[in-house]
Amino acid sequence: MAKFDNWRSPVAHLSEGFPSSLTELPFTHQINLRGDITDKAFKTAVKKATGLVLPVIPNEVGMGKDNIKALWLSPNEWLIVSDHEITDIRDSLAEIHSAATDVSANRIILGLSGPDALEVLMKSCEMDLDPNVFKTGQVVQTLIAKSQAIIEKVSDDTYHIYVRNSFAAYVCEWLVDAHVEYRM
Amino acid sequence: MLLIECPYCGKRHETEFRYGGEAHIVRPEKPEDLNDTEWADFLFMRTNTKGVFAERWYHANGCRQWFNALRHTVSHQIIAVYKMGEKPPVSDQGSEDR
Repeated sequence: MAKFDNWRSPVAHLSEGFPSSLTELPFTHQINLRGDITDKAFKTAVKKATGLVLPVIPNEVGMGKDNIKALWLSPNEWLIVSDHEITDIRDSLAEIHSAATDVSANRIILGLSGPDALEVLMKSCEMDLDPNVFKTGQVVQTLIAKSQAIIEKVSDDTYHIYVRNSFAAYVCEWLVDAHVEYRM
Repeated sequence: MLLIECPYCGKRHETEFRYGGEAHIVRPEKPEDLNDTEWADFLFMRTNTKGVFAERWYHANGCRQWFNALRHTVSHQIIAVYKMGEKPPVSDQGSEDR
């Protein structure tokens, strides 16, 4: 895609040292969406533009068609993540009190998977990630090694970690280091 | 470490939050009518409660929402959390000997 042609990952220089369970996911289109969920016009416009039903329950992920999803960030804020460009959302919301901001360059997404993924995360983060509490399809904003991160549970042993570009290298180095004991 | 219950996200560790000082301080409707003492009182003077204290917290590394909490300043026990604009669910007065 043309948009990402000249983009460079802030962790490209580290990727050779990644264990097999850690990967950087390719650039995705991310939109920070704010609006009043009790406003029917807002809900309908988002549904029309993206096919998404925005999650109202805290820390949930709403899935739409064509691999588009909405991560709950706060009562009036969502992160829309998609592998294709969402072009018409701003036009659909033009008349409605809301904001849709392209934040694709804000965060990179790391994929953490495998049997050790949970333990690696538990070492790095104070959040209760027990499978009975943190379930597939949930998302949590918390700290990983003191840096702000969004953790999404994609499946039983797969997590997507969204970190700010400027923290990405540090968090990657931390996670690589956290993996060492499991590679013995 | 304190576990603080965000009214939106649920129980989280203290490190995700920022402290926002005393709650329920109302901005004077006509600040221009106040003398310097009254204005300074609004800006700077806070109660130093020993006991249950209504205070503001900010879930900085989570949902970035402000909320209120009733916390016992001696034991750090958090008695209740409630959203901005709501009244304290229990009284925050007269609990010195709790």
